[in-house]
Amino acid sequence: MLSIPRFGRMALKQVSSSKSFGGFQKVFEHDSVELKCKMKFAVYLPPKAESAKCPVLYFLSGLTCTEQNFITKSGFQQAASEHGLIVIAPDTSPRGCNIKGEDDSWDFGTGAGFYVDATEDPWKTNYRMYSYVTEELPQLVNANFPVDPQRTSIFGHSMGGHGALICTLKNPGKYKSVSAFAPICNPMLCVWSKKAFGEFLGPDQNKWKAYDATHLVKSYTGSQLDILIDQGKADEFYDQLLPENFIAACTEKKIPVVFRLQEGYDHGYYFIATFIADHIRHHAKYLNA
Amino acid sequence: MEEDAGEEPGLGRCTAPTDFHFYHMDLYDSDSRLQVLPEESTGVRREAVQAERTYEPRGAREGQAHRALHEEADELVHLYGLEDDHELGDEIMDEDTPRLGTAEYPPYGVKRGDPAWEQRDWRLGGEAAEAEDLGFGGWGSRGQCQDLREAYRYTHGRASEEYECYVIPEEEDEEEAADVFCVTCKIPVRAVENLDAHKEHEVTPLNQALESAKDEIHKNMYKLEKQIIDMENFASHLEEVFITVEENFGRQEQNFESHYNEILETLAQKYEEKIQALGQKKKEKLEALYEQLVSCGENLDTCKELMETIEEMCHEEKVDFLKDAVAMADRLGQFLKTKTDVEISAQPDFEEQTLDFSDVEELMGSINSIPAPSAPVINPQAPNSATGSSVRVCWSLYSDDTVESYQLSYRPVGDGSPGKDQAEFTVTVKETYCSVKNLMPNTQYEFWVTAQNRAGSSPSSERAVYMTAPSPPIIKSKEIRSCEEAALICWESGSLNPVDSYTVELTQAEAPQAWGVTESIVGIPTCEALVQLQPRQNYTIYVRALNVGGPSARSEPATVHTTGSYFHLNKDTCHPWLTISEDGFTVMRSERKTPMREPLASNTRFTRCVAVLGNLIPVRGRHYWEVEVDECLDYTIGVAFEEVPRHEDLGANRLSWCLRHTFASSRHKYEFLHNKTSPDTRITVPPRRIGVLLDYANSRLSFFNVDISQHLHSFSCELHRLVHPCFSLEKPGCLKIRNGIPMPKHVTFY
Repeated sequence: MLSIPRFGRMALKQVSSSKSFGGFQKVFEHDSVELKCKMKFAVYLPPKAESAKCPVLYFLSGLTCTEQNFITKSGFQQAASEHGLIVIAPDTSPRGCNIKGEDDSWDFGTGAGFYVDATEDPWKTNYRMYSYVTEELPQLVNANFPVDPQRTSIFGHSMGGHGALICTLKNPGKYKSVSAFAPICNPMLCVWSKKAFGEFLGPDQNKWKAYDATHLVKSYTGSQLDILIDQGKADEFYDQLLPENFIAACTEKKIPVVFRLQEGYDHGYYFIATFIADHIRHHAKYLNA
Repeated sequence: MEEDAGEEPGLGRCTAPTDFHFYHMDLYDSDSRLQVLPEESTGVRREAVQAERTYEPRGAREGQAHRALHEEADELVHLYGLEDDHELGDEIMDEDTPRLGTAEYPPYGVKRGDPAWEQRDWRLGGEAAEAEDLGFGGWGSRGQCQDLREAYRYTHGRASEEYECYVIPEEEDEEEAADVFCVTCKIPVRAVENLDAHKEHEVTPLNQALESAKDEIHKNMYKLEKQIIDMENFASHLEEVFITVEENFGRQEQNFESHYNEILETLAQKYEEKIQALGQKKKEKLEALYEQLVSCGENLDTCKELMETIEEMCHEEKVDFLKDAVAMADRLGQFLKTKTDVEISAQPDFEEQTLDFSDVEELMGSINSIPAPSAPVINPQAPNSATGSSVRVCWSLYSDDTVESYQLSYRPVGDGSPGKDQAEFTVTVKETYCSVKNLMPNTQYEFWVTAQNRAGSSPSSERAVYMTAPSPPIIKSKEIRSCEEAALICWESGSLNPVDSYTVELTQAEAPQAWGVTESIVGIPTCEALVQLQPRQNYTIYVRALNVGGPSARSEPATVHTTGSYFHLNKDTCHPWLTISEDGFTVMRSERKTPMREPLASNTRFTRCVAVLGNLIPVRGRHYWEVEVDECLDYTIGVAFEEVPRHEDLGANRLSWCLRHTFASSRHKYEFLHNKTSPDTRITVPPRRIGVLLDYANSRLSFFNVDISQHLHSFSCELHRLVHPCFSLEKPGCLKIRNGIPMPKHVTFY
């Protein structure tokens, strides 16, 4: 299955492989060019991938997560197997880069890359998660797995939901569809990301706008979107997420969103597992159309 | 009527004159004709065949019938005119024409030449069969025969041309495909190479030539099929005639036997009587003569004794003599006085006896007369023997009856009210069946029949009630509902009286490979049928009504498209404030200046929410429809059980699942209501066209913004029973329902 990598340093190393719903849940390790460190990512290969090229769906995880959380807790494999989707779950930040302050806080640095390309020292060398998930990782995946690059979608949770939204809004047409679980919708106004954006992007808030979904949507002119957002009503971080701002912007710009406030659900993976099938179906509708 | 009854339809024999007999009575009359046959005595079967052969030629002498036969011959030639038969027929005819001429029976026997003819036992052995064969062209003149042969060659020749037309190109295909067809040379041509040679010729594309050749062949096949059917009908009619003739002759044979036996018995009895009388007479006479002889002898003895006494007296003394002589003279005188009878008391010859043969003569005379038939037995109605305007009545006769014709009488079965006696009708037929026409549909008629021959008329049969088939039903086209896998068809009976059942016939409109294939659903007791169909097809549907008499004609067709689900609004449920457009698919609530009084509570009509239900086909499959709405309109759409409370809002109970839109202070609110609760869902783009997907299999009801393929919400609902679409307007405005449309691809993911 492993073809010769397009870049010499992009060799993939399989870390694990487990059969799941007829397909395989694998984890690979590689040396990232963008992040200049070893990175792990998870790949689910549905049974259909043995005989045909399949669409690929990226899942961006939230703060503190690695590639493991989603693949072990969400139970997405069943729906992905049914719809024949390859699902890629990258890590949430560079690791082991020995940058001072990297591991000081749970909501910044390791496990909290915020899917931006840092422009400030000391982060700008390694913390290029935006380029990693939109460029390097797709190239690696396209080169090594039976994927149809024309059919790519993205979704995420919390910080990853923010990541999925900005990747889509910044690259019209690159992703066939987008959805999010409890996304950080307006990171410029969110305590976590204000800190991170300040460190990664500097104090100029105009630069932040390029990574803020609510701001991006106001100037979006790309192809038709169909955004599905699920949000738990009992989410302990609801105040940080600010979905109302995003909904208001989308309503004004007539960007189609179905925003579902789910009574009683919190921010965790039990919430995700409850609605993961809806989201995978949402993407399958566009990826398998 | 008589003509109708006497014929199988389509045989062209209708032009035969009515005195065109083929029954036994001809044979009774035609002794001379029978004598022509050398094999006359070879048995009934032979005679039957002879009769078969006889009747047609005799008819043929009538000019009109002659032509009819000629036409039939044409058909027969088309049907059975294989080349071999022709040659055989021609040859034999050439050899044996003189014989034929004397035979006086130019046989009506084209069928003999056909090896496929079923009635092989009809064939006469050897010579006779040959005679049949050679009669092939022997209708009359040679000229006609020539016509037949030409007709044959015409069809045959054309067939060969067609054969070449499409076979030769196939052979050439192996090398290089020919692409045009030269009509003049009747060969396919490769345009590149050989077109020069056909420059002046009429040339058509090969495909076109192929098509027209195929068309021609199909036409001919159709003709042939028609002719086969005609011939089969004709053959079955011949078979009937055959059986009738066989039966009639069998009866006559028995008749003769019993009559002659009777005569012989009578004669024997008379002989016995005469002999006995003669013996009696003889005995009497002999006895009388014997008595006379005896008494004669006695007299003789007395005379002799007297003689002797007198002689003795003559020898006595005179005195004695005189004494005795006186006594003697007295005695003699006394004796002579007694009369001596010398008359013969009995005559030796017998008296002239008259022989009375009058009764025998009577018997002899009665051999050729037949008894009047007994009453025929009328059969009960056979299934599928009636149409809307006709019935086929059948009866049978007693096997030893001879019948020349039947009189069939009938009248409609009245409703029993006196003074309304229905008119009676009578027809005369020769067969034991009759198709009676011009009757009323779905009506009972009683029939009775009498049989006639020259001796008289039979008593009437029992009366049998026959029923005409019903009138065709009338499909209620505007009430047809359908979905991808079925359609619900309903119709009006079309008949006043009840019918037994209905049959639905359906043909797929756009299936060239299944052209003309009709599927039937039979035994439908009600005026409604749910028919399983294939998705995304067009069907033409007909309905027939059936009763004991048979099926009606087809109803007018109705078309069904199995694309999406197609339903109508149930006007009975419509809130009084709503109006439904002419086409039935726009629901309007008009502006009201003054608030209207709440309508009275009702079980069918919505009284509180201004709503209407649709009538969805009762099929637990997947149904999809769309509703066009105004962005600012307040509306509720969804599904509800039939019995959803009419005085509650839709979605306010467990019997309905709805999307409700309310527009207030320039904010859109979308609720997905069931049992008064809704999830908190925000939709940023107000849909103008809402797709509704009802999926029984997955127990889901989903809503979509059709224009942007956006999934809005899915209910998981327990649909133990059937639900119907529901629509409600909370403010003046209108909803436009679009159904009978294909389900969009994006919908299939939910």
